[in-house]
Amino acid sequence: MFENLIKKSAMKSPWLFHINAGSCNGCDIEIVAVTTTLYDAERFGFKLVGSPRHADIVVVSGPVTMQSKERLIRTLAQVPEPKCVVSIGSCPQSGNVFKGSYAIDGPLEKYVHVDVAVAGCAPKPQAIMEGLYEAAQILEEKREMIRKAKKGVKGSGVIEVPAAAGTAQVSAAAAPASTAAPESTEAAPEAFAAAEPAAAAAVESTEKEVASK
Amino acid sequence: MIVLKYLFNALIFPGALFTILAGFLLSGLDRKVIARMQRRIGPPLAQPVYDFFKLAGKENIVPAAANVTAYKLAPVLSFVSLAFIMVFIPIFSFSAFSSKADLIVILYLITIPGVALIIGGSASGSPYGAIGISREMVTMMSYELPFVLVLLAVAKKAGGDQLVFSLKEIGEWQAVNGSMLLHWSMIPAALAMLLVIPAEVGTQPFDVAEAETEICEGPLCEYSGAPLAVFKLSTCMKMFIMTGLFTAMFLGGIRTGFAGTDAILFVLICCVVTILCITTIHAITARLRIQHLFQFYWTYVTLLALVSLVLVWFGL
Ligand code: SF4
Repeated sequence: MFENLIKKSAMKSPWLFHINAGSCNGCDIEIVAVTTTLYDAERFGFKLVGSPRHADIVVVSGPVTMQSKERLIRTLAQVPEPKCVVSIGSCPQSGNVFKGSYAIDGPLEKYVHVDVAVAGCAPKPQAIMEGLYEAAQILEEKREMIRKAKKGVKGSGVIEVPAAAGTAQVSAAAAPASTAAPESTEAAPEAFAAAEPAAAAAVESTEKEVASK
Repeated sequence: MIVLKYLFNALIFPGALFTILAGFLLSGLDRKVIARMQRRIGPPLAQPVYDFFKLAGKENIVPAAANVTAYKLAPVLSFVSLAFIMVFIPIFSFSAFSSKADLIVILYLITIPGVALIIGGSASGSPYGAIGISREMVTMMSYELPFVLVLLAVAKKAGGDQLVFSLKEIGEWQAVNGSMLLHWSMIPAALAMLLVIPAEVGTQPFDVAEAETEICEGPLCEYSGAPLAVFKLSTCMKMFIMTGLFTAMFLGGIRTGFAGTDAILFVLICCVVTILCITTIHAITARLRIQHLFQFYWTYVTLLALVSLVLVWFGL
């Protein structure tokens, strides 16, 4: 009965949960800036929430350090479907200035399918906002896919995690101040993502059970 | 016929449906106005509706550590008790159901959402929930005392010699003698009530139990999907019920003569009260610590209510 309203609401009220996977805090400050008076993400319905269970969009910053890896996977598994993952900054994409360090185990695509990647070091709030807005549109598509999958295979109990049309890239062009972003490394994780989503999805669904215990 | 009438009262007007719609309006207005106060554009007025339906469409994860029955029934309990309170609150001249002890019934029913939150939080098996419910209990204890004193002051004022707990009679008394707010001895009680409302609803300076930046929204930490949607809806409904109770108790003397215009006026006054006591306080304060909240309510707010009670007792 309320199908249309739910459909419309899915992209009008995306709640964000922020995971810091070893970020230098530069990106975190920019994420906070998005919700402040000047940029006011709340006008699109974005809201930072405190618990991953309430989230629709998971915002990840940082190069995925060894210490944060396990927590990252467990936290991602706690987010109810449909969900989107947005990576902020060049760190989750390539490792950025931390690339080659013994302490990091990136990129983020190894663990989860990234729906939108916002490049830059740190990206401007405008760029982050555009990325989040795009993620909100993807959210709606994903919900539709899950609904169709549920209708199609009734009773099997397995919902395939739908991959959106490919990792959307928000270019750093909106953020001229952040030209330091290593553009050339962006292609590598792209290829990675193509090979991994199935594995990542498998990890996720098993982790969901682990996390709930 | 009488059964049908009560069913209509409980489910549509002024029960569940009316309360939900008005609650959405107040909650949306609260978010919009606070955004304007901070010089932001703010979310659309219908944002709480979007939030509710989005949550309703999401996956519902039940944690393995949870007690499933209590976990799922807690939001329903919260919703049902709130849907029934509005039946007891007269909308100026229109009163759906009136008994001798409206205020006492309301006092009991209005604690149930808090209790439901405690049940749900403890059933979810989360340590954040455990911290949240202990804070929720302390919060409830803090505001109940001044709240009861305010109700007593109102009951004594309207009754004269004896206490009158029927909201309908209180409304009629106000129609004859002018609204409670026009009697100077009741102004401290009205102020106390305005300060009880944000704690009861759980908004900013008094939202220690659901502090999302400290304890991941406490009792709601593990909730997702539809049960969370119902809890969020309860908050919206509570907003309307508490401001509605204030309007009925302190501004009940206004009469337009028609049920329709009365209802519109009632909601408008509720909007003003919401902006006054919820939005403004939210915009200018930061979250209190739990002991400060307890101190605040048991000293200043209780004192305000007590002043009114004593004045009324001496016949002023
Ligand atoms: S992208 Fe730059 S600013 Fe962001 S976390 Fe990495 S090093 Fe810090």
